[in-house]
Amino acid sequence: MRDTPEQITLQQWDQRYEQMQKAGIAQPSYGGRLSRHVGDGDTRLLKLRYDNSAAALRLWNFLLTEEERLREARDRGKKIVGTMKDLGTVPVMAYSLDDVVAFYPDGAWWIPCVMELNAGLLSIADSLGIDESFCPVRAMLGAFISGEHFPIPELLICSVGATCDDFSAIAQRLEELGYPILWWEIPHRREPDLGEESVKLPGGFSAPRCQVEFVKSELHRLRKALEGFTGQHLSDEKLSAGIKKANQVRRLLAQLRRLVFTARLCPMPALEMLIAEMLAIHFCSDRNETVKVLKDLLDEVKERVRAGTGLLSADAARIFWVNPVADLQVMNLLEDCGGRISGTEYLFTHALDQIPENLPPMEALAQMALADPMVGSSADRASRICAEIRMVDAEAVVISRIPGASHCALEGQIIGEIIQAELDVPVLEIEVPSLTDSIRPTLRTRLEALVEAVRQWRKR
Amino acid sequence: MKRIIYSCPYVPAEWIAAHGLQPSRIIPDPTKSSAPVGPVEGLCPYVRAFLNEAIADKQAGGVIMTTVCDQMRRGFDVLVRRCKVPSFLMNVPRTWQNFAAQRLYLDELRRLGRFLVRLGGKPPTPSSLAEVMLRYDAARNSIRTSRAYLSARQYAESIAAFGQDGPTPGGKIENRKSKIEIPPGLPLAIIGGPLTKGDFDIFDVVEQFGGRIVLDATETGERGICGPFDRRRLHEDPLAEFVNAYFGGIQDASRRPNSELYQWLAHELLAPAPGRGSSAQGPRLNGPRSGPVRGIIFRRYVWCDTWHAELQRLKEWTDLPVLDIDIAGDTETERHRWQNRIRAFLETLT
Repeated sequence: MRDTPEQITLQQWDQRYEQMQKAGIAQPSYGGRLSRHVGDGDTRLLKLRYDNSAAALRLWNFLLTEEERLREARDRGKKIVGTMKDLGTVPVMAYSLDDVVAFYPDGAWWIPCVMELNAGLLSIADSLGIDESFCPVRAMLGAFISGEHFPIPELLICSVGATCDDFSAIAQRLEELGYPILWWEIPHRREPDLGEESVKLPGGFSAPRCQVEFVKSELHRLRKALEGFTGQHLSDEKLSAGIKKANQVRRLLAQLRRLVFTARLCPMPALEMLIAEMLAIHFCSDRNETVKVLKDLLDEVKERVRAGTGLLSADAARIFWVNPVADLQVMNLLEDCGGRISGTEYLFTHALDQIPENLPPMEALAQMALADPMVGSSADRASRICAEIRMVDAEAVVISRIPGASHCALEGQIIGEIIQAELDVPVLEIEVPSLTDSIRPTLRTRLEALVEAVRQWRKR
Repeated sequence: MKRIIYSCPYVPAEWIAAHGLQPSRIIPDPTKSSAPVGPVEGLCPYVRAFLNEAIADKQAGGVIMTTVCDQMRRGFDVLVRRCKVPSFLMNVPRTWQNFAAQRLYLDELRRLGRFLVRLGGKPPTPSSLAEVMLRYDAARNSIRTSRAYLSARQYAESIAAFGQDGPTPGGKIENRKSKIEIPPGLPLAIIGGPLTKGDFDIFDVVEQFGGRIVLDATETGERGICGPFDRRRLHEDPLAEFVNAYFGGIQDASRRPNSELYQWLAHELLAPAPGRGSSAQGPRLNGPRSGPVRGIIFRRYVWCDTWHAELQRLKEWTDLPVLDIDIAGDTETERHRWQNRIRAFLETLT
């Protein structure tokens, strides 16, 4: 059942779902009407616009049923690991074991948006002294205390060192409240000194060999902990197989991103692409299903590109977006203002890069962890962003600040300066809180101005 | 002699001095008119003050920053773009319980040594390093024992002066004359990150309203002083002794886990140190049961997540009253606000 691509409301999706049912289109076990999630409290869904493909419906249903999936995994006796902050590395290790599910409690940072603050998670965080001066990830604290949004993992693993202070402080508070954490160190990635052995990391950054060795030793510590926790031996063979599986997801995403970001007409909206990218970090608690969801999306995009169809205007301003948004609706807003996403750096590009399969697995994972754009300098991050902007031919950049995040105070200015110096494209820095309703007119004006600037730029 | 500026307590001054360079742990002045880094939403005022001080310091031969705080780590990116003075970012691990973290700190000291040599420093011989370490150790001991002879402000300033200028000739505190008359004020502790230049008034303000600081657990105070060196180990492996005394001896909120900070606090809040009076008055701590301190001033910078997150925890940990002083910048209005809060706090306690 293929139709002209368009963005539709939740109500329209319900009507379309009825048609799909009548047409006998099979749904996965977690499928169903999107609007049913509103009954769970996800009221923001009422205000979003969605791609009208069956692939997009599957993506959304997959995302919005993660809690059920995790609880079901627990009921089936699977071990649940909460991995925090590193965004992409530890889950590859955990999923290499049998009957283990790993997820990022950090993902709770979207709950205040999706549930429009009705879950009360931020109030719980407030009551624990973690107020609005912290990043919205403080919702994670509330989610642990309320116990309502994910099953409490039996093992919590958190990276510290070159990470943001707000997350580190919140995790420390969590530990003190009775949730023991296994901390591991990720050092600030630095340039190798003269004469020092250098390692080229996935994605293009470099690090001294000694830092790779250090991270490897930390990951060995985690490996032992995972073995102790599960009673299984995490062999190199198992890790290599896990890496291959993760790379399958990453390859699909790489194809999807390349096609979507470079197509003449946008074949998949920004919101669905944001969700799709997020699947890379912990596979939304089901690695095999993630592959199927992404394959569906990719097929849909390929078909649209082949047919020359898509969404948005052909002259939509091609925007490169830096940092994920706390309010999903802003992705719709950009498109309303005449823009389209033509490139992204949502803090976890290292989770999108292929993990080297020609290296011993622990070496490959250590390199990947060090390739995290957030553990290096802002200049490093900017250089990678510039390289990607060139590849996708983006016309402007939006740096989306996360309120209260310790990295956002200074990095935006540096990244902006470097991009402007290297590429001469307009850069806009905005701040996106969990709910943008009250500042929507201002955001709209600023995004519209950026799109206008792009159109002026084209005339030069 | 080239002056090397820094602010983090985990940077061993002796290591710099032993290379023939002058270590200077600066106390930034946020009111300085030259401010290339303006106020930015989300930026810690201390980080801003340090950056502005470092960028404006034309006499500095090098700048050392560390990764102890994420904003400082990010601030380093600004420094290297705005300042031509050679600079060094030292990785200080947040974890501390395992050998790998200690080894990383040690490796970073060696890397710092190579940076200092590039600035014109000379690698020290083991004996010359030991000699410098002993001199600094003696000076720190002298400062610690001078507590009974100094007012709270003098004590804090002597620690700051030692950090900025190193040991005085002979390693003694100059104004150590006679034991001071301990003012009758209510004994308080101050806990938090580092102070800036004008902040030392807080000790006077506390006294003015009937209190006295008997434990300075700020980063620029007693909490930021490294532990004593072991003389035998110092001669055998001086760098390893830096790991013990600095990396292992300074407790900070940024550690993961930071349980040792609370152990240190429990010990210090109970300790009948000179100038702290006797532990006579009532049970106040959940961990430690009683001590001389009657209240805690918790001083933090707005946007400093690391310390901010500890405020509520501290309140839950201790039965002592805790006063939150949040510092956003350098305005007079703010100064009046915290002065009034301290006054009200002391009125409540007395």
